[in-house]
Amino acid sequence: MRPAVAVVDDASLIRDSIGLLMPGLDVVFAAATVEEVVRARPRADLVVLDLHLTNLDQPPGVRQGIAAIRALTGCGYRVCVYTQEERRFVLAACIAAGAAGVAAKALPTARAEQLFLEVATGGTVVPQPVVGILEVLVRRDCITLLSERQRQLLHGRARGLSYAQLAKRLYVSESTLRGYWLDLTRSLSESLRNLTPGEIEHTLGLAPGDLLEFWSSETTDTAHWWRTGAGTQHTL
Amino acid sequence: MSSRRRRWPAELPTTQAGLERAFSYFVAGVRLGTLAQMVPAVGIGVQTSPRPAAYLVCWLAAAGASVAGSVVALVRRRPLGTAASVADLALAGLLLVLAPLVLAPEVLLGTWMAYQPAYALSIIITASGVRGLVLWAGGLAGLIACYVVYLGGDVSGPVAPTAVGNILTYVVYGLVCRMFFGYTRRIAADADASRAHAAELARREEERRAQIVMHNGVAVMRLLTESGTDTSRSALIDLAEAELQRMRSYLRGRSPDGPEPGDAETVALAPVVERVCGRFPDLPLDALLDLGAEVRVAAAHADALERALESLLINVRAHARAYSVVVHLDHGPDGWTLTVRDDGVGFDPAATGVGLREVVVGELARHGMRVEIESAFGDGTTVTVTGGPAAAPVRSPRDDLVEAE
Repeated sequence: MRPAVAVVDDASLIRDSIGLLMPGLDVVFAAATVEEVVRARPRADLVVLDLHLTNLDQPPGVRQGIAAIRALTGCGYRVCVYTQEERRFVLAACIAAGAAGVAAKALPTARAEQLFLEVATGGTVVPQPVVGILEVLVRRDCITLLSERQRQLLHGRARGLSYAQLAKRLYVSESTLRGYWLDLTRSLSESLRNLTPGEIEHTLGLAPGDLLEFWSSETTDTAHWWRTGAGTQHTL
Repeated sequence: MSSRRRRWPAELPTTQAGLERAFSYFVAGVRLGTLAQMVPAVGIGVQTSPRPAAYLVCWLAAAGASVAGSVVALVRRRPLGTAASVADLALAGLLLVLAPLVLAPEVLLGTWMAYQPAYALSIIITASGVRGLVLWAGGLAGLIACYVVYLGGDVSGPVAPTAVGNILTYVVYGLVCRMFFGYTRRIAADADASRAHAAELARREEERRAQIVMHNGVAVMRLLTESGTDTSRSALIDLAEAELQRMRSYLRGRSPDGPEPGDAETVALAPVVERVCGRFPDLPLDALLDLGAEVRVAAAHADALERALESLLINVRAHARAYSVVVHLDHGPDGWTLTVRDDGVGFDPAATGVGLREVVVGELARHGMRVEIESAFGDGTTVTVTGGPAAAPVRSPRDDLVEAE
């Protein structure tokens, strides 16, 4: 059975074509703003959300980025961010804000569809750069993992190892590992959500304030949450 | 003159040919030296001889043979050959046998009027360089027999100690010279073989260096010619420039490794890895380097790693068809680890090409790093490079707390 999906993207081409290009998804609702979804409350297993939702045609003050994720998760939706954003701390902020997955728009269509299906069916898709951040936070005791098996799993996934490779090394089945990983990413996302930008900056060796402009907070529903600092990429 | 003396040994190569030439000098020196010792006594020898004309003929024969043997050796640049040695030994034996006829009995021992035993000794010494063992041993035995004849067949009585001593001189000098010739020839042969081996190793090393330096450049050029669009070509420009620089350094005779291994200069590894990853903007590549931010390696090792990582990523770009590539740097108590993982099509690790075999595994092993390649068709590839010792670990907040307590 195909999962019901709502698409939020300011590009009409993507809204209109995603259902055609991804036959595994049943696109039941498509909107240019989060506000429309919140008003309509469609029944959907997943919301595919673009991070950047403002343009000249959009009404002023529409939620986007972290605020959009918070608004949707607040309504009980599972959210998978679909974005061209590549800055790892922005992606980590999305996970910390409650997104169950992040998929890059640069991915091949079939691969992106596969990730959406994974998130729609209860899984999590944590981008590799975010897995790397989580590993650093765990290794430097900013996030505590109780189980040695969890540490081994995070160690392997941070290096990009496949479930098959890890299953061989850890002498467990792939399906068991997928279950462990689901639990682990939920746990890590929760831990990430509870960290302050200052704690993360200290652990990662960043300067104080480096994360403030993209990290999740209650005041992130501004129009300029994605603002980039000097020397960072402008990929939106 | 003194500068000439300093130059002379240097002109004589320490090869087999050089050794044979040195032997020719030795042969000429011994023979002409003996002749020089014979000359002062020739006048009185003729006067005291019962057969002066015969004495003079024998003396001239010995002197002529000494000079001729020396000239031939010097011209040939090697000791006398078998035929000349046979003739030499025969003449020395004949002169010994004839000596009692041309010498007064009282000068047979201990005088240079009786030059024949000394002349025979010079022949024994110089003939020790002859190749055939039978010829040498037979010649030595024959001359000893001739010397006994020279003494009238009587080696007893008051002449016995001198006679036995002279015979032992023949035997000992013969053996020592034989060993000297044989051993130094073996040394020269071994030296020539070692030189040939070293030259072959140097040729292979140069070939390997050329492979290492050129391999990535060739791969980039192939990608440039195969890439279909300007966009895909422009993604290769940085890489091509880096390879061009490397090849130019090599052609100018500079080591592609830069400073030698063991050089005290160290560099941070993470920026090197980041720089290489930056040359592959078209790859779906994530570089996770935080855990290895403190790792420092010798500059030469960093250069080797840079080439190896570049070669790995060129392979990924050309063959892997990967959705995801992860480059991860970490360090622990036993050293640092660089992991390059792609989820592409994989390959058979037993059938690696020059890039993996030489640029990655061979080159990194030469710099003391260990490389492990894990790949299977359809299951991607993981390359793990480990080295050490580890840099000082990054302190965790917990460390600070423990110290504060």
